[in-house]
Amino acid sequence: MTRKIVIEPVTRIEGHGKVTIHLNEQGNVDKTYLHVTQVRGFEKFCEGRLFWEMPVITPRICGICPVSHHLAAAKAGDAILGVKLTPTADKLRRLLHMAQMVQSHALHFFHLASPDLIFGMEADPAKRNVIGVIAAMPDAAVKGVKLRAFGQKIIEGMGDKRVHPNAAVPGGMNRALHSDKRDEILSQIGDIIADCQFAIDLFKDYCNKNSEVAETFADFKSGYLGLVDANGNAEYYDGKLRLKDQDGMTLEDDVAPEDYLSIIEEKVEDWSYLKFPYYKKMGYPAGMYRVGPLGRLNVADGCTTPLADKEFKQFKEMGKNGILQGSLYYHYARLIEMLNCAEEIKALTGDKDICSTDIWVNSDCLNEEGVGVIEAPRGTLFHHYWVDKTGKMIKANLIVATGHNNLAMNRAVNEVAHAFIKDGKVTEGILNRVEVAIRCYDPCLSCSSHALGHMPLELTVHEADGSIRQVLRS
Amino acid sequence: MKTLVLGIGNSILGDDGIGVRVAQELARKIKNDNIDVRDVGIDGLNLLDLILGYDKLIVIDAVLTEREKVGEVYRFKPEKVYEPSRSAISPHHFNLSTTIEIGKKLFPGRMPEEVIAFAVGTEEATMVTEEMTGRVKDAMPIVVNLVLKELNLN
Repeated sequence: MTRKIVIEPVTRIEGHGKVTIHLNEQGNVDKTYLHVTQVRGFEKFCEGRLFWEMPVITPRICGICPVSHHLAAAKAGDAILGVKLTPTADKLRRLLHMAQMVQSHALHFFHLASPDLIFGMEADPAKRNVIGVIAAMPDAAVKGVKLRAFGQKIIEGMGDKRVHPNAAVPGGMNRALHSDKRDEILSQIGDIIADCQFAIDLFKDYCNKNSEVAETFADFKSGYLGLVDANGNAEYYDGKLRLKDQDGMTLEDDVAPEDYLSIIEEKVEDWSYLKFPYYKKMGYPAGMYRVGPLGRLNVADGCTTPLADKEFKQFKEMGKNGILQGSLYYHYARLIEMLNCAEEIKALTGDKDICSTDIWVNSDCLNEEGVGVIEAPRGTLFHHYWVDKTGKMIKANLIVATGHNNLAMNRAVNEVAHAFIKDGKVTEGILNRVEVAIRCYDPCLSCSSHALGHMPLELTVHEADGSIRQVLRS
Repeated sequence: MKTLVLGIGNSILGDDGIGVRVAQELARKIKNDNIDVRDVGIDGLNLLDLILGYDKLIVIDAVLTEREKVGEVYRFKPEKVYEPSRSAISPHHFNLSTTIEIGKKLFPGRMPEEVIAFAVGTEEATMVTEEMTGRVKDAMPIVVNLVLKELNLN
């Protein structure tokens, strides 16, 4: 057989992350754009399918957060059926979700974010990466792998396909948790919680040594959105929407998820496939808000578990009126959430009913529409379905976390560009800084699943006349 | 010797699903205790758990090319063609070379000794559909046969 080694595919850069910066006549920043690829036609794709199928179809949207789409779709289905889950089904869904939070947050912190914190943003990219972390702090790298694998194994154990989950169905769950699996989780959870605390200490160490950077890097005012439970605690699976402004004032509270359109509108810009949601009452773009870890902890009054709540109180004390604005604090919030979710896993698996087989309820009801909302690792995720009398999908509307953060990520890029481009001088560190800023938000910039190819961040600087001045690639 | 045949892609994103479709076809054809065939919609570091413990890994994937090269089939060793992605702003951004490098450092002795990639040239897929375009669809039997040959099964 001919061995064909070709270079051609390498030249084509994946369209995963593109930033353009436009300079004015003086060589200062005029406008900046973060371009996000967004697939089209999902609504059409869903039309005519039974709403029952949505929990297995929607995880195929993305290989990174399939569990989030799976659960939001199942919850939209619950709403169409008008059912309240059995206590065990509710707990199993939460367990699945908490496992996803731990695996996703661990992957992000240890493999994507930690190189910036351990080596510093100015460090040579050849060293400032995950391989560098393995060399410098092998213990941390192993903990990262362990945490991610722990979450992933729970997800795998609760379904029959590890990446495309199928355990949740409208009305509940389709399989119970075996006691062997529960016992296995319980035997590991102590170590897992300790590893979460290790990660928090790592971030706090960075903050102690770099307090000014932590406070000022990509720091800007915005609103914040997230779900909270009946006691105002950060909530990931259920609850009501709360929106606060930059000063910690509550603008919206106790908003039922199905009423999301009363507070959120979306704007389309011709330079981006991804829409720009904003807070309706403040208009566009003033109604910019942030979701995800920083959004959730900024709107919450507490965490549901003791260790996370203790850390949460320290987090709140660092901000003005309990609001932290710096983008780097996303990492701190993400790690507190990881601890919170690990403690939740401990509580859920220790629950006497968790292995019960009372996991599904039937219904004679078929509502015309249903909204499912969860706090995905990256932020609030809405699935809104409309069905006909036979349960066939007429329409679907999805708002994903990266969409909510679209305005804010663009703002973060803009802040960094202004700080690092002055009088026609584009400093070398700008690509690093832009990358660090975007990374804080843990965006999902693509729906394709590729293992081959080149996927750098591409930054293009344009002159005032539109010509390209330079292209930088990470 | 244990071999894993891994088809990667998003099966509802047109041509991006070629790896998944090829793996599904191979799963129907291959009945061998030493060969596992899987199709997955994941990428990056999430592949690490899947490939540990195998001696050989065969990956089937889509790769972006210029328009005139859509549907072309390539065979290569990924670590020889693609540099590991050193930094990433999204978990999607770690390529297989990175995953292999990390795996070799963290799990020495448990990573496949040999990794072969079969890639099909595609343009960027932006429309949700289960249908692949003509030239990519035509490449499917070619890739299936090439993988079977690689496995000495035809």
